[in-house]
Amino acid sequence: MINYLWDNLFKKSEDAVFKAISNNIIFEGLSRSELKTVVDFLHVRHYRHGELIFRQNEIGVGMYIILKGKVDIFIEKANNTSKEPKDEFITRLEENDIMGEISLIEENSRRTASAKALVEVQLIGFFQPDLQNLLKSNPEIGSKILLKLSQILGRRLAETARKISELKKQIDSLKA
Amino acid sequence: MVHIQQSRLKRIEILKLIIFLGIISAALTVLLRVENMLLSFLLAFVLKYTLAPVVNWAERQGLARSISTLTVFTLFFVTIGGLFYWTLPFVSEQITAFQYELPRYIEGTKELIFDIESKIEETINTSMELNLSAQTETLMVSWTKSIFEDIPQFLSKSLTTILLAPFFAYFLLKDSRKVQRALLDIVPNSFFELVLSLQHQINEQMGQFIRARLLEAVIVGSIVWFGLSLINFKFAYILALFAALTNLIPYIGPIIGAVPAIIIAFINGAPVILVIGIYAFAQLIDMLFIIPLVVAKIVNLHPVSVVIAIIIGAQLMGVLGMLVSIPAASVLKVTGQNVYHHLINFRA
Repeated sequence: MINYLWDNLFKKSEDAVFKAISNNIIFEGLSRSELKTVVDFLHVRHYRHGELIFRQNEIGVGMYIILKGKVDIFIEKANNTSKEPKDEFITRLEENDIMGEISLIEENSRRTASAKALVEVQLIGFFQPDLQNLLKSNPEIGSKILLKLSQILGRRLAETARKISELKKQIDSLKA
Repeated sequence: MVHIQQSRLKRIEILKLIIFLGIISAALTVLLRVENMLLSFLLAFVLKYTLAPVVNWAERQGLARSISTLTVFTLFFVTIGGLFYWTLPFVSEQITAFQYELPRYIEGTKELIFDIESKIEETINTSMELNLSAQTETLMVSWTKSIFEDIPQFLSKSLTTILLAPFFAYFLLKDSRKVQRALLDIVPNSFFELVLSLQHQINEQMGQFIRARLLEAVIVGSIVWFGLSLINFKFAYILALFAALTNLIPYIGPIIGAVPAIIIAFINGAPVILVIGIYAFAQLIDMLFIIPLVVAKIVNLHPVSVVIAIIIGAQLMGVLGMLVSIPAASVLKVTGQNVYHHLINFRA
């Protein structure tokens, strides 16, 4: 009886994680059995309303996928008039959105923004130690995830380069 | 309103931290207080870290974790059992012969030290009585008594420990991810990433350290066995086994390992220089190839810290303490470095 309850308690949370990651871009291209293996390497974290998930400039070691709830992303801006830093809202993330993926690859990566739970939030955490362990025991799955991550980051880099060149053009036109 | 909410969250975090630290302290108390539990777990961890790369390899070949663990465990114990069965008659024969000749070696050592003592007294011309030979005899008798009487007694008393260790190791290997996840689940959110990376680093470092030390012991033991057998030295097998085991203790271990062979060589009139040469060659290979390639990269402890750790270990837990002191010191170093790093850098 206890075993049945215990197994089902974990199975329920594992099922939800499995469902969430099978629709997530990072784990796209993995087979059902590969996704089941990945579930063993993930962590489910619970955050209360208003709880800080991570703070800007802190060292981060991994990424989060929102399993349930909403998360606000903001940056702390130094205020000239008062000593207290002022928060500037950037975006609101919802279920299945990802955050902090750069920290999964970069060593001693610092969080570029802060994240706060808007309501009761459940997150799936995937961190550098988990990726390293996955690469050791299941290198094929690990390399598929790494490839996907590189594609996402590559796309972002191209987008940033395009934005910089646009801004440069605008500056040049303003100078002229 | 926001302030009240934040202080409530802080209280919950503190409560979670107290529960987490409480569980860790309770586990440590059980390990230290319950007889043989610490030794069982230490042996289980040594087994776990030794076999983990093989289990990971089997998993990479497409086997499920449980099947890989079971296969590797079965193969390992069949091999160990086979080796034990093959070497047992040989080892017991050498031990019996050694026990028989032991009084002669104790007497010989006593005479040897007496000679040195008289030469010192002659040279320094001191009126002070050193009386080293009598002290040596007492010491040697008590040491050999403890080796031949206490160790078999200890082994038969620790049968539960020896049987429990593989049992723990099996589940540590098979369910390590689940166990780690369950433990990490109770870590407060604000410390989660720190504890996760700390646990990973300690795990990696311990694994590499234990595998490197075992590899060192096997290589040193093999060279000593091969060398002593080549010159037809008595008790080559048990002396090599002793050298391999004592080699696990840094700095002091290799010296302790060589002493019995040097004494036997002196008393039997065997070429002492050659025997010292064999042990020195084994240490040279260890220092030139194994330590720089395998060990040095793993635990960067200063030699002074190593010696202090060994002394503290020996004071607290005897020989076991000497063996455990270095991994324990490196766990403390990694934890200290990470917590410091966390306090300075993690929280910006």
